[in-house]
Amino acid sequence: MNTDCLTIKNQDMKNQYKALKYRSLVLLVVFFGLLSVIVVIALCVGASSISVTDSILALIEDNGMARSIVWNLRLPRIIMALLIGIGLGTSGAVFQAVLRNPLASPFTLGIGSSAGFGAVIAIMFFNGLVNEYAVVTGAFIFTLLSSFIILGVSRYKGATAETMILTGIALMFLFSSLSSFLQYLGTKEEVHGIVFWFFGSLSKAGYREIVMSGIMILIPMPFMFRFAFDFNLMTAGDESARALGVNVPGVRMFSIALASLMTSGAICFTGVIGFIGLVAPHIARMIFGSDNLFLIPASALIGGVLVLSADTLGRTMWLPHVIPIGIVTSFIGVPFFLYLLIKKTKEYW
Amino acid sequence: MPRLLSNFKGFNTAGFFLPGLIILIIISARGTAWAGEVAQSIVIEDAFGREISVNIPVQSIVVLNSDVLEVLRSLGAQDLVKGIYSEITKDGAFFQEFLDRPRVGSWKNANAELIADLNPCIVIAYENNPGTELEKQLSPFGIQVLRLNFYKLGTIAKEIITLGKIIGREQQGETLGAWYGKKLDVIQKRLDSVKEKPLVYVESYSAFHTAGPGSGGHDMCVYAGGRNLADEFKVPYSEVTSEWVISKQPDVIFKATAWGNGFERNDRIFFNNVRDEMAARPSWNLIQAVKNNRVHVLDSGIWTGPRAVIGVVYMAKRIYPRLFNDLDPEQIHKEFLESFQRIPYQGVYISENLSGGSK
Amino acid sequence: MLQVENLSFNYGKTCVLKDIDLNVKKGEIISVLGPNGVGKTTLLNCLLGMIKPCFGFIKMDDMDILKMSPTHRARLIGYVPQAFPSKFPMTVFDAVLMGRKPYVRFVPSGKDLEVVSKVLMSMNLNHLGLKDFDRISGGQKQKVLIARAIAQEPGYLVLDEPSNNLDVRHQLEVMDMLKKLAQKKNIGIIMAMHSLNLASRFSDRIVMLKSGCMVCNGTPLEVMTPRIIETVYKIEVNINRINGYPYTIPLNPMPENRIHKELLN
Repeated sequence: MNTDCLTIKNQDMKNQYKALKYRSLVLLVVFFGLLSVIVVIALCVGASSISVTDSILALIEDNGMARSIVWNLRLPRIIMALLIGIGLGTSGAVFQAVLRNPLASPFTLGIGSSAGFGAVIAIMFFNGLVNEYAVVTGAFIFTLLSSFIILGVSRYKGATAETMILTGIALMFLFSSLSSFLQYLGTKEEVHGIVFWFFGSLSKAGYREIVMSGIMILIPMPFMFRFAFDFNLMTAGDESARALGVNVPGVRMFSIALASLMTSGAICFTGVIGFIGLVAPHIARMIFGSDNLFLIPASALIGGVLVLSADTLGRTMWLPHVIPIGIVTSFIGVPFFLYLLIKKTKEYW
Repeated sequence: MPRLLSNFKGFNTAGFFLPGLIILIIISARGTAWAGEVAQSIVIEDAFGREISVNIPVQSIVVLNSDVLEVLRSLGAQDLVKGIYSEITKDGAFFQEFLDRPRVGSWKNANAELIADLNPCIVIAYENNPGTELEKQLSPFGIQVLRLNFYKLGTIAKEIITLGKIIGREQQGETLGAWYGKKLDVIQKRLDSVKEKPLVYVESYSAFHTAGPGSGGHDMCVYAGGRNLADEFKVPYSEVTSEWVISKQPDVIFKATAWGNGFERNDRIFFNNVRDEMAARPSWNLIQAVKNNRVHVLDSGIWTGPRAVIGVVYMAKRIYPRLFNDLDPEQIHKEFLESFQRIPYQGVYISENLSGGSK
Repeated sequence: MLQVENLSFNYGKTCVLKDIDLNVKKGEIISVLGPNGVGKTTLLNCLLGMIKPCFGFIKMDDMDILKMSPTHRARLIGYVPQAFPSKFPMTVFDAVLMGRKPYVRFVPSGKDLEVVSKVLMSMNLNHLGLKDFDRISGGQKQKVLIARAIAQEPGYLVLDEPSNNLDVRHQLEVMDMLKKLAQKKNIGIIMAMHSLNLASRFSDRIVMLKSGCMVCNGTPLEVMTPRIIETVYKIEVNINRINGYPYTIPLNPMPENRIHKELLN
């Protein structure tokens, strides 16, 4: 009798926990639905006068101009926005988990500013204003360089969160002052180009860019899920994670390398939109909790929602001007973030 | 004891300040004395429209950007240039004779100490760059900062005449100002007969950043008789979507490039490549201008700045090939370089014209 | 049986542990005592395989612990850390679920959830299950961390000062819980301790360390003598026996000159 009662209670506990996770799963589906709705809206709005029906019909049949606009201009832009949101959201969540720091983001490790420096070099010395691939290559090379430096220092000094964050912040300052130095030497035209690059823009998104950044962003994804449970353990301290059998330095270095690659894939093609990397994981955490098995996909979805809605608003709100995406993401991300922070403050940290 | 100490301290500060005060008085007295000795001052209008009094004639100038330098050279005032901006090396071939002048830092962030060392009568800078801290830093040395732009078509002739006056080359200033006016007038007169002006998309150096009202590119487009796609814009340099450009169907497209230096180019390959890449943007084959091969790429040397007028002639000719059939921008450019700048004409400044008609 | 043989550890040129010999049997509680910096934590870290000793062996049922994979080792030895430095909100259930790491391939399975809820149940923690770990009391946190180690289903538990930062009632509760676990689940427990009295009340054996060397290893009654405590801690004490347990009452720090004399002996 007594044991029966225990089993029931025991089942009860397990089921409550499962219910909690089901709730998260349902929420993920809801967010996915929301994202799909935004995708459809984004497909239907734009500067040209093609109608909503034409925009949707263009997906399945050849209706001339509308088809070309939807397939060549809107769709690539939307896919790129989604990729960027997914890349920055996921890598932000991973950085925060493995560095055990709620303030970590692609910027903390200097990835944003090293990409910026690469872009500045390309704009000033390799004709980056005309040849956009020079900018992409420059940004990519320097993000790789900064992650190699971080990983190198970690190999030498031990891959603790503190070593990495301090190295990253040092690199961030180094690269941003190098960028400032080059800008200081720049001409009027170059400085203009650099400022615009730092604002971020999806205007240049085409299918070739999508393939390249898709490779960098989507290939690391399965690994991130693979390590999600390990990330959970690592947020609770290196020592106990190691005692439970996690190869802490290995997982940390590997996932930092992959997350850097994802960040790089997101910002090289479009400029620095780094705020998403900080905020999407926090919004996800306030809604889904800290279990990385859900936090990672949720951050990806929320990142996608934020970037896509920011870009769609940015290109339609003030027609025909385009408000730079970096600015709009902050406009819509910050108030939402503050709202959640105030509302949920009691259960947060 | 404490009181005594504080008294002593007060005395000490006074002792520190008094000599300083005396020095200041002497300096300002000397300043006014000089002004008294050297003739008179004139009142001019600067880029902000402020009335400013300048002691003339100005005998030494520190130049903070290429636009002023170019104008000074066309006024034959090379030897007044005591110091120059550091980025001059980028235009080394064009400004060869200035390469040995002392450099005082960047066009947007000059070094006040270096300028003070050179002790020029005035510093000439853009309206907004460097910031007003330059005035604050230099005023104790009696160095005046003059804000003149020389890149806006509407005001450049007036600014040239002003500059001519204060450096004692009034005659040259008038001549050059008149030359500008004449070139623009020729175009304006013929445009009077045009009823339907073609739509023009003007793209500045960064992709998808257009030139709206307030930018030099917009002025050039208007002077060349184009109807700027962005003429209702609220921002001088705004980003636009590809979709917007396509839906507006511009008749002509102009793009500025700032890579390298037209003065040193021997062929059109670079401009042609930029043009072809632009025409190959997704769905741009739907644009009228692209279909008709009316995409043109211009060098930054004739884009805004003192030679914008040459850019305008090129643009006018590309927009209205027949109307301006007899205008030869290269000839005008040559005339400008040889008779005003006194350097031989060279270089290539625009992409090849594929739309037919004369080049 | 967990056997430590001839264990030595140097940190650089400093000798931290020297010639430690120690056996932990299943169902037995062993406390490691000694002042700060004496090598207690180093000893525990060696047992957990976190650091490699310079000499000596650690064996469990004749298997070399140092040569095992981390996962294999984690199935045999559970660890209860002093702190849980998470900056992110996390439910108690999730915290305990971490203990299943050695058994989880990618994602925790239904069986893992089952084990966790059983552990919570048996330790009377199920009412906390879905609470935020940061929102529960210090004593509850300590119990949850023990529950996490139990969820590892280990043969041995290593604890780093489990009674630290707890009020007296929770200290007793936690120690009582450990005692019951040792007996009921037949788990061998080795823990670093600061409180002499809790150690002598709840341990089967006590090991005293001094400058990295083992001074003694015996039952509380054998070890808790004024002479040993004075040697190890350099304090003057009074030892009383209540209900058969030796209780230490610290009196004074030992005067410097006496320490000196003792060292000469």
